[in-house]
Amino acid sequence: MKGLVLIMLLAPLAGAALNALAGSRLGRNGVRASACAAVLIALAAAAGALILSHGRIQDFTLWSWIKVGSFQAAMDVHYDSLAGLMAMMVTFVGSVIHLYSASFMREDQGLVRYYVYLNLFTFFMLVVTLADNLAFLYLGWEGMGFCSYALIGFWYGDNEKASAGRKAFLYTRIGDIAFGVVLALCFVWFDDLTITGINAQAAGLSHGAALALGLLLFWAAAGKSAQLPLSVWLPDAMAGPSPVSALIHAATMVTAGVYLLMRLFPVLQASPEVMWLLAAVGALTALWAALAALAQRDIKRVLAYSTLSQVGYMFLAVGASDIVAGMFHLLSHAFFKSLLFLAAGCVIQALDEEHDIFRMGGLQRKMPQVGMLFFIGALCLSAFPLLGGFFSKDRILLAAFLEPGLSYKLFWAAGFLAALLTPLYTFRAYFVAFGPRKAGSEVKPSRGTPRFMTAVLWPLALLALMDGLLNLPMGPGKHWLARFFSNVPGARIELPASGGMELAMALVSAVGVLAALGLAVWLYRGRAAESAEKGWRQALAQALYLDRLQLSLLVRPYRAVSNFLWREVDDGGLDLGFTTLAQGLGIVSRGWAAWSGGRLTVYLFSVLLALAAVVVLLTFAWFA
Amino acid sequence: MVPLEHVLVLASLLFLVGAACVVARRNLLMIIIGVEVMLNAAGLALVGGSLYWRNLDGQALVVFILAVAAAEVSVGLALVVLAHRRRRSLNPDDFKMLGGSR
Repeated sequence: MKGLVLIMLLAPLAGAALNALAGSRLGRNGVRASACAAVLIALAAAAGALILSHGRIQDFTLWSWIKVGSFQAAMDVHYDSLAGLMAMMVTFVGSVIHLYSASFMREDQGLVRYYVYLNLFTFFMLVVTLADNLAFLYLGWEGMGFCSYALIGFWYGDNEKASAGRKAFLYTRIGDIAFGVVLALCFVWFDDLTITGINAQAAGLSHGAALALGLLLFWAAAGKSAQLPLSVWLPDAMAGPSPVSALIHAATMVTAGVYLLMRLFPVLQASPEVMWLLAAVGALTALWAALAALAQRDIKRVLAYSTLSQVGYMFLAVGASDIVAGMFHLLSHAFFKSLLFLAAGCVIQALDEEHDIFRMGGLQRKMPQVGMLFFIGALCLSAFPLLGGFFSKDRILLAAFLEPGLSYKLFWAAGFLAALLTPLYTFRAYFVAFGPRKAGSEVKPSRGTPRFMTAVLWPLALLALMDGLLNLPMGPGKHWLARFFSNVPGARIELPASGGMELAMALVSAVGVLAALGLAVWLYRGRAAESAEKGWRQALAQALYLDRLQLSLLVRPYRAVSNFLWREVDDGGLDLGFTTLAQGLGIVSRGWAAWSGGRLTVYLFSVLLALAAVVVLLTFAWFA
Repeated sequence: MVPLEHVLVLASLLFLVGAACVVARRNLLMIIIGVEVMLNAAGLALVGGSLYWRNLDGQALVVFILAVAAAEVSVGLALVVLAHRRRRSLNPDDFKMLGGSR
């Protein structure tokens, strides 16, 4: 078991190291093969570990890392069902994306760099997934942030893309500060940084301490998962290559924040205010991002906003204290969203970097395979009844509805509204880009898509379609996932709802989704253009001006203050003072230097002066 | 008998003339002559003192000064001749090799 986990962790790291050191000698095929093999080995190890563990919790230490006095931070692993499934998902989606990239990046010059970062990212993500010690987890957490930055700005020659990478790095760093504080607080209060230890002591926390820890954890997770108010980096992060968006900014890294919350769920549970805040932020983000997605023209930005919205659901699930639903949605979201991103990547590449859906059109006929895959992903994202996303989203909404208090009903309403908007924006993208149009307004792909690229997506599509089977609300496999999670602290197998109510909720959301789908067909099928971006449409396209608001509230004042400090205080005050002082000293020194310039006459004159001075002094001394 | 004050005033004036010659003239020879004048001014003051106090020490010192002055002039003049051969100049400001290459 320990060996399997070691292999799982070390294989991607070894792949990254190999390519970083000898990538240029391996040749393009060698690089691709070694990088893909590393992740496939990790996938096999993850599958083996999941089977061998039999749902038991396993804790072990890989390496004792830091040991100071009574404190120790070891590289240790807490392998429970949550970590096992997450590792499985990460390695599986990672493998698909590595294989897909082999074809997607076939002409790119930076292939070695790309695969090094991708492998390294997989390693860090697995560290976050498995780590028991928060210091070890923090290592993976920051490493992920770095890889994300490097891959968003992968085409760094384009200044806009490079600055998108910087923006993402800075925004996630704002969240990471809170995580650092959590580490310090846990050390002070518990003298223990292991997740198991912290969870065990969480019940004994005072109200204020639990609140502080919960708020800091929320802030850390919000930064990584791009929840309000730290969301604006994710849409810009779409500057990276599409497979990167699929792996990092849809399936794994942005869900790492939610995953952290699930791992430390008992700490959050100790403070009802934090739970309320999580639910509120989740519901608000879900609704806000769904609205913003309605007006985007860039196909990847539509998907990015939908990612924000879906991760908002996961926050809502944690806030409604149903981490099973959250993890369930995390898994199904990982499958269908990476599928959508990868299909979009095929389209973008085939059309020579065209991102605007209104300049596509009729692609279903030109690229039937890709269209089919995107359609499947869109159906799952819209939570089409009986498909993957349906059951998970339904359970989240039910959990929110069942929580006591009027505010949770409001969160449920916001979530439900967002669920109705989801088919609208998803199928707006599908119909405008892929749907048939009048002759003449359709585009023709300028190059073909390699068959391998679409072939590797079918397993993802299959999983996206079928993963509702993991946790059926009724029937033979009832609540399999929830039962599997019974060893995770805080997991509830069944929600306290009667069968009738569950059925009614499911029916209501099914009818709602179908109605919204009908509306989307009526609104967007055959649509070739949208009226100009004015009024509400512009407000939505700008995501309700959140970016601009933060720019004018925080960035501009900060820059003004910095400018003042730079120009007036530093340049005008300190520097001016020092420069003047230096210039004065320079003048004096040049005077001295001229005096000792090697001229004999000057020396002689000086000697005479000195002599005169001595005589004068002696005279005074004589008469005084 | 000449009073001591007169001798001392004359010696001081001679010394100042010598010093002015050293400082003001831009010629190595004139500097050496100025130095000689200053030495002799000092010798004059010593002789005057020796006469006033009836003590031979001062005159003994003057003999020493004469010897030193002779040695100094011989070495100094040799240097001046050498310097003139090297640089074709007797201006002291032309000889500033010790100030570094500037």
